Amino acid sequence: MNPNSISTTRRADIPIFAALLLLFLSVPVWADPGLVFLAGVALVQIVFALSFNTIFGLAGMVSFGHAAYFASGAYAAGLMLKGSDPSLLQALAAGGLAGGAMACAIGTVALRRASGNYFAILTLALAELLHIVISKSTMLGREDGLTGIVRPRIDLFGLVTLDLTQGTTLFYLLLVLAALFGLGAWLMWHGSFGRVLAAIRQDPDRAAFLGINVHRVRLVAFSLSGMGAGLAGAMYAPLAQLLTPEVAHWSYSALPILFCLLGGTASYWGPVAGVLVFLGLEHATRNIVGLSEIVIGATLLFVVLAFPGGLAGGISRMARRRKSVVRQVATRNPAAMAASKEVDA
Amino acid sequence: MTPSLQASGIYKSYGPVSVLKDVSLNVAPGTTHAVIGPNGAGKTTLFKVLSGEVFADRGSVLIEGRDASARPGFRRVRDGVGRTFQVARVFGEVSVLDNVVLALEARAGNPQSSAWQWLGVRAPAALVGEARDVLATVNLERRADDLAGVLAYGERKRLELAMTLALRPRMLLLDEPMAGMSPGDRVEAVELLNRISQEMAMSILLTEHDMSVVFALADHVTVLNYGEVIASGAPEEIKASPLVREVYLGHDHA
Repeated sequence: MNPNSISTTRRADIPIFAALLLLFLSVPVWADPGLVFLAGVALVQIVFALSFNTIFGLAGMVSFGHAAYFASGAYAAGLMLKGSDPSLLQALAAGGLAGGAMACAIGTVALRRASGNYFAILTLALAELLHIVISKSTMLGREDGLTGIVRPRIDLFGLVTLDLTQGTTLFYLLLVLAALFGLGAWLMWHGSFGRVLAAIRQDPDRAAFLGINVHRVRLVAFSLSGMGAGLAGAMYAPLAQLLTPEVAHWSYSALPILFCLLGGTASYWGPVAGVLVFLGLEHATRNIVGLSEIVIGATLLFVVLAFPGGLAGGISRMARRRKSVVRQVATRNPAAMAASKEVDA
Repeated sequence: MTPSLQASGIYKSYGPVSVLKDVSLNVAPGTTHAVIGPNGAGKTTLFKVLSGEVFADRGSVLIEGRDASARPGFRRVRDGVGRTFQVARVFGEVSVLDNVVLALEARAGNPQSSAWQWLGVRAPAALVGEARDVLATVNLERRADDLAGVLAYGERKRLELAMTLALRPRMLLLDEPMAGMSPGDRVEAVELLNRISQEMAMSILLTEHDMSVVFALADHVTVLNYGEVIASGAPEEIKASPLVREVYLGHDHA
């Protein structure tokens, strides 16, 4: 009923999580390497979109510059993966830290005075600044991009060696990372910190007069979100093996916004649905030149107009309608109707 | 005894409009203090200055003897001053119970809000139990599982009070607690506030338009007019003061 409830159980979450895990696990079995690569991109974008939605859907902050944190993480990881014997773990950690640090720095400036529209524009402007710095920086490959990113081998306690040059092995590793991240984000979304963020979204002044330091909570949430975006970037670096300044461009910041609006911001699963539908449509229409954008645009328009709460909002509304039909049938019994009226009164 | 709340020489202006001029008041511990005055007298601005929503241009605010003039609202809440809003504000998208749980979790020094609870997906049973107890003090336990957004206005006011009480304040600031309530709700609310101030030995400062409420609750009354204190004293003195009658109580009380 309510997205951040403490008292209601969320029984659907475990089956959804399991179904998604099974879907992705099976991809290398039935799909060609191109589709496995696309599924890897989907995992990266899911992590990106989930990070974005913790501040967008949960905390109610509109950031137009999340590409900056994705790019910080991607380039940091890319640089770490250029050596002769790179460590993937260090690259992922560096990516997350870089995204978090960049978000903390930009958030400190943008949250100082600005709220609402000003905050959105400031995050956009500062992200664009980073885009320019990256495209002019020789160390980061300028407009040509950062090349020579190595997919390393991982030695797991001397027992197994994971050879990530194999597309499938890298894909499974990304799946493990995305699943762990998804679990962490779920805990945050539904935990006490998530409840505080939801309260701030609904009424920041009221939250402040519960003794909540709204400014600091927003900054922490924004930095954590940047950390998630940085991790997504760090997952992207070994997958793509080439990073161009495009990943810091404002149009890249629009991606998680589109995923969240398409899937629904009020639900934890909304961004995941958004990524799958968006990339699915893009893939299905890839060979029809010029039509791809029209189909995706029309779908977005349809979803926004037909389901104001996104795909997830539409699904949960349908489920609720069915439930209320069941209740109506039950309450046709006059005794039950009287009882339910008493409760309502 | 140190006053629970002490404001001295408060000045506040919005641009060229000076709203508060040299306002001072003391709230003695365990007493109920009412601020009255005609519309536009500066009651709400004084309230905002005292709660830390805005800062005064000049003057000081002491909470239990300590200077809080520069402390923002959320810190004053942690100092033990809880407030409600003139138009009740609750978190409408979550349940009534969750509103109170949130307040309990936010309470400074709450042992259950320690670091390992940070990721607690379910609020601990003890916290939920305490939240139900707080709801019972304002007679809302029956609505615990309803969305706060669907509450009737009087119930919303009571929920807001419950959230504030959950913070265990030593002092309550209530901005027109009866505004928008039906006469029946008012009688009930006066009883409730009397019970709170007596049982919990809480200091209360309130602004109110309804004089019957003021005289039923207050131990001390301060009258504002055009941003200045024109009278201050026990309710009987205020009732008897010709000046107050003239500027505020007007003909229908004469």
